[in-house]
Amino acid sequence: MTMARRLFLNLIFAFLILGSAYDIVTDQEHWPFSQYPMFSGEWRSPTFTWLRLFGVTADGREIALASNRFIAPFDLSRLPKVLRRMLEERDGSRRVAVAIRDCLTRYEQLRADHHHDGPPLAAMRLYEVEWRIDPNAANVDRPERRTLIAEVAGR
Amino acid sequence: MTPFIGERSATGPVRMRGAWEAIASAWNRFWFTPGPASTLGICRLLFFGMLFVWQFPHDFTPWGAYSSVFWMPIWLFQTFGLRPLEPSMLAWLQVAWKLSLCLSAIGLFTRPAMIVAFALGTYLMGLPHNFGQTQHFDTLVVFASGALALSRAGDAWSIDAAIASFRAGVPSPLPDRDEYTWPIRFVWVAMALIFFAAGLSKWRHGGLGWIFSDSFSLTLLRQQYHISDGDPLTTWGIAVAHHVWIAHAMAASAILIETLYPLVLFSRRARLVLVPAGLLFLIGIRALMGPTFEQFMMCYVFWIPWARVVARITHPRRFLPVHHAPTLSSAADSPRRRVVF
Repeated sequence: MTMARRLFLNLIFAFLILGSAYDIVTDQEHWPFSQYPMFSGEWRSPTFTWLRLFGVTADGREIALASNRFIAPFDLSRLPKVLRRMLEERDGSRRVAVAIRDCLTRYEQLRADHHHDGPPLAAMRLYEVEWRIDPNAANVDRPERRTLIAEVAGR
Repeated sequence: MTPFIGERSATGPVRMRGAWEAIASAWNRFWFTPGPASTLGICRLLFFGMLFVWQFPHDFTPWGAYSSVFWMPIWLFQTFGLRPLEPSMLAWLQVAWKLSLCLSAIGLFTRPAMIVAFALGTYLMGLPHNFGQTQHFDTLVVFASGALALSRAGDAWSIDAAIASFRAGVPSPLPDRDEYTWPIRFVWVAMALIFFAAGLSKWRHGGLGWIFSDSFSLTLLRQQYHISDGDPLTTWGIAVAHHVWIAHAMAASAILIETLYPLVLFSRRARLVLVPAGLLFLIGIRALMGPTFEQFMMCYVFWIPWARVVARITHPRRFLPVHHAPTLSSAADSPRRRVVF
């Protein structure tokens, strides 16, 4: 190996180590570098809230879209978080309405492509749901509280 | 006897220089001790092969169809002005990427294929993180792809190598080289930094309470409510949450494995314990909590001394350990051993 290549590789090694060290020390994230904060906090509360999309059929039935296949390529972690971030912004309501319309279009597209067997939807609603954590997680389908955040009707 | 002042002041810099030389020597030994081409070649084959199989059904085109309200660019995309392409462009891009993964695995046009795999993979794997949440299952894949793109991983166990050997007329065994060691060590270091960072985050944000409170039990239960990128593969998390001492033991194990993981870079004994423990830890996360770390687990192929494994399988009688010559698997250890065919 030539000296020039060895020097170049050492710079690459330094970039990996110093880039990682920077994010670790400053508690920041610069993907693909990260401080890897997942599950790092101490959770004490017996309750928690989460944003969840519900589909509304033509006869008014509500269906919780609690599976990735209804919202792919989003998942049940990323979609609620991006919606939460939108709501925290100034024109949050407008942005969330646009986002839910996208999700409704995507749901119907996935259904047409047979990626899920959900019913056709007339509308989509975004709720903030709250659960009391059950020792057997037996209330997954029965949150304690639901607050409607937004609703978008299909075209 | 009291030394002269001049002597005393001279020993300081001399000692410093000696320490720096020792550090530089250890650094070079770690990264550049000659290793066998076959270990790196098999790592390339398995890593890109598994990544190809894993990514093949994944479709990135829908990301290009979402409204701009979703777009919350991460640092990398913001810095380089990267945007989501049109779905039709993404479709072509992902075909090119998956093809490059396949070519990288089989070792055909290996070097350009690996460069394309890294460049397109960084864009495509990074793209979803611009939609509201940065997830962490693919960072190590990006680093490993980058290291391989700069490496000579196609020198063995590749179609390119077979063609070159055929053209040369006689197969010539490749000598051990420094070029075959550093990419593997790069993945080791990246993995150690990731585990360590995750451990440190838990100490920083959770502290001892993360181990000794109900936090871990509550987290295990909370993960059952369909809030992760993947649902837990089992409901064992509920059972663990019911036994406080098991939950505490698992929390303590997790934080210890993560924090101590960098020891694997320096100690063979630590490697024997922490490397499998880290893999079990990732499997445990997937089974009990949900997050999909399958891609991260693929990088575990870089821990296996494949040259030795192949030698044991193909020439069990001729596998003779000889002391005082370095191998990939033991280059950072002492005493060193070498496989002789």
